[in-house]
Order: sequence, then structure tokens, then C-alpha cells
Amino acid sequence: MNTIFDINRLGLLLKRFFLENKQRELTFWGLATLFFILMHLSGSKDDSSTYVTLIFIAGFIFAAKMFKIFNYTPGGMHYLLIPATHLEKLITAILLSTVYFIAMIVITHVIGTTLGTTIGNLHRGTNNPIYFELLQSASGYSIYITFGTTLLNTIILFAAFQSVFMLGSIYFNRNAVGKTILAIIVVLMLLVYISAFLSNTIIGIHSVGSQSHTINLPSSENSYGVDEIIFTIIKYAFTPFLWIVSYFRLTEKQV
Amino acid sequence: MVDVRNVTFSYTRKTDLLSNLSLKLEAGHIHGLLGKNGEGKSTLLKLISGLDFPKAGSIETLGFNPVKRYPQMLREIFFLPEELPQFTLSIKNYEKVYAPFYPHFSSEQFNNHLKEFEIENKKLMLNKLSFGQKKKVFVAFGLATNTKLLLMDEPTNGLDIPSKGQFRRMVASGLNDDRCLIISTHQVRDLDSLIDSITVMEGHEIVFNESIEGITKKLLFKVYDKNEKDETVIHSEETLRGYYQVRENITGEESKLDIELLFNAIIKDKNRIKQLFTA
Repeated sequence: MNTIFDINRLGLLLKRFFLENKQRELTFWGLATLFFILMHLSGSKDDSSTYVTLIFIAGFIFAAKMFKIFNYTPGGMHYLLIPATHLEKLITAILLSTVYFIAMIVITHVIGTTLGTTIGNLHRGTNNPIYFELLQSASGYSIYITFGTTLLNTIILFAAFQSVFMLGSIYFNRNAVGKTILAIIVVLMLLVYISAFLSNTIIGIHSVGSQSHTINLPSSENSYGVDEIIFTIIKYAFTPFLWIVSYFRLTEKQV
Repeated sequence: MVDVRNVTFSYTRKTDLLSNLSLKLEAGHIHGLLGKNGEGKSTLLKLISGLDFPKAGSIETLGFNPVKRYPQMLREIFFLPEELPQFTLSIKNYEKVYAPFYPHFSSEQFNNHLKEFEIENKKLMLNKLSFGQKKKVFVAFGLATNTKLLLMDEPTNGLDIPSKGQFRRMVASGLNDDRCLIISTHQVRDLDSLIDSITVMEGHEIVFNESIEGITKKLLFKVYDKNEKDETVIHSEETLRGYYQVRENITGEESKLDIELLFNAIIKDKNRIKQLFTA
């Protein structure tokens, strides 16, 4: 018997999710398809990032609900006693909150857009082309920071946020979404104040955000850019790091 | 099968719920874990199954450290909690989802137990069942898993009188030499003629852990017309039939164990009972 990872047990856990949440999933993805149909019935083209923002938010809530079973002690007890490893339970949650969620969004978007545009064309006698703006806007989506403009980068950013919310859902027993958002705000504020403190101590700049300061650091010709390397490491390591933290948190979970 | 060694546990930093507790439970028995509310019976079951971790001491469940929650241990444990989880699943789908996790699960047994409990329609949704009916489904499922260790926390809560009898029959038939059943309850009468070993928790510790055979050898349970108070009397209760007493069994007379009377005797004078059984 494999004591670390068994594909059959993973399959059983996935089956468990779909059978237990069949009704909810059908309702949610049905509504998502309807939303995309309605958005395309009028024939107006909206290439804004509103879609992506909504999907990001829906995704965070979806991830935060992954371990909602811990909201209710008997549910948490039952879940922890399912004969599967913590790793299998976590991988199930990762697969569902990232791969499955993104795949379902794309599928419902494609179906909804195709149906909506076709029905709209038939109704109005127009000949608007079927345009999957979600995939277009997602590839150019960036949240505040210049994270990148490829679809892969958007997915990486999405997975990063998902992992934060998933960790939150294991960490907090109740109101995981709200508490995770609060925790993010606190951490961000701490980071801002730490950077302000360091700026003040090392360089002597006092204000944060009100004024912009340009600091010229000595550079060498062959420096690829330390900041770029650090950013790349953070970009690729952040999500797996939080998954590892989630794993250990799950192993330590008591109900 | 279960070996609890010097375990201390607390939910808060200030007071220990369980302090330096030791207990050994063997297969082939139905162990009754008795105690008043809040003594830590449910917590002990959670510690045995790995849902809570001891602050000090160690536990061995089926040869594993339960804290690790290894699947090879979990597939041999079924825990029926007092409060049941919520599922938006039919009985049939519950079986479909969870039965494959238990290698010795018997669908035939599950159906038979459900039938005995008069639940014949497996398309019924679990979330639409009454508490008692839901409990019957979980009792039936737990017995059908054929796990080596079956933990039941207040299993008769919510069951009506005929169902309690059915429960006792089912549990008794579900025992074999490889299986260990631990039933925790404060409704001691519900376990009458079911359990073959009694463990009593009092003051957050195990104050009594004996087999029924051992108990009836050393104690005599009998109704007397008068409230005779000789030195062999440990505990006496006035009933309509007379005075129901627990006495030291100095004559070797056979009597039927009354769990409730024994429990009250232990609560009243645990030191005397302890002395009697350690002698």
C-alpha cells in the first residue's frame, strides 16, 4: 500500500467532491454560462478586464470554500478521517481550485459566448463574429503591478491568489474568505511599513507613497538585474511555497 | 489494539482535560466508555483516532501513531461522532463515495442493517432524514465497514426505544475476534448486556477498567428488602422493589451486572472500588 500518494485514492477524493457538490456545481456553472450568454446577446463588445476581475473574485471564493468543511466540527472530523493521505487531500484541493476552475471557466465562456453571439445574431439578423474576449483580456490582464501580459502569467497570478485563499481556508475555521482578505490587508500594510522603515533608516526617505523618489544605484553592464531574478523566483516559488505551508497546516489540523 | 500511555491533553493552557491517562484496549471486545458529561470521553476517542493530538504521553492505535493519520490506519477505523456531519447525498451515493475507502466494506451487510432499521429506500437524501434516522444510517455503515476499530460516541442518542434494541443486536453481531468496539456514553442503561468491558472516566482520569466477568466475580448486585449496612455494602439505592445494593462478592455468588448501579457506586466511592480490584 502506498503511504504517500495513491492515484486511486486521489480519484476517489475527486469523485467524492463531484458527487457531494453535484447540485452546487451544476448551479454555479449553469449560472456562469447564462452570464456569458446574456453578455453576448446584445452584440456589444466589451474587452475590458471586468470579466477577469469577476472570475478572479469567483475563483478566490471557490478556493476559500475548498476546506469549508472545517467550519463545522463533525464535517471536519469526517473529512480528516477519510482514509487518504494529507498530500492526496491537498492535491485534490489544488486540482479543483486551479485546473478544474480555470477549465470550467474557459468551457462555460466558450459555450456562453458561442450561444449568446449566435442567438443575438439570429435575433437581430446581424453577423457579428464569435469573439472570446475573456481569453484576449486575460492575456493582457495585470493587477496594479506589472506582473506580465501573457495568459501564462495571468494563470500564475491567479494560482498565487488561489493558494493564499486555500491556505486561509485551512487556517481559519470560520469565515475563511473575510479573514483571509483581512490577513492579506494586514500583511500588505506591514510590508509597506517595513519598506518605509528601511527606506528611512538606510536612505533617509521619510514619506511613503506621497512622493516618488528615484534612487540611482550603481550598475554594471552584465548585471541581468537582481530585482528581476528575485521577482522571477518569487513569481514561481510563491504558490508552491504556500501549498507546502497548506500541507503542513493540514497535517497539524485538529478538530 | 489501542494503547494509551500517560496521555495529557487540554483545549486551554490553564487546565488539563485529561491528565496522565493510561488505558489498554484489546480486540474481540466491546468496551463501554462511561462517564459524566465533560469528563473527556469524546476527547479520548478523538485522541485515539488522531483527530486531536496529546500534549504529553503517547498513543498507539492499531500499531500506528494516530497523529500521523496514515491511510492504512484510517481505513481500519470508523468513528461515529455524537453530532453527525451534513451531507447533500443520498444514502446510495454516500455508500458509492465512501465505501471504496474501506477495503472490507460489505454492501450486503449495509443493506441488511438498513433493513433491520426499517430504512429500505437508499435514494433518501441524508440531509432530509431525521437525526435518529441519520444515526441509523451511519451506525449501519460503520458496522458494514468491518474496520478493526469502531468508535461510537453516544450512538444511542436520538434512537427510539425499539431502535436501541436493534442497535444492541446489530453491534453484538458485528463483533469478532479481530475487531474492537469502543462505545462512549453517559446513558449507561443503553449498553446493558452489550458490552463486555467497562471503563469509567471520573475527574478526567480512568478510575475503572475491568471486564464484566471480573466485575461480577468481585461485586454482587442484588435487591434487599432492608437497607442492611454491613461492611460489604459499597453502594445502595432505594427502588420500588427494595434496596438495590452493590456489595463485595465474598461468597462467590453469581449476579447480573447493573451498569448504572456500578457507575453510581464508582462515582460515590472510587477509592474503595479501586482498592477492591487492585487487591
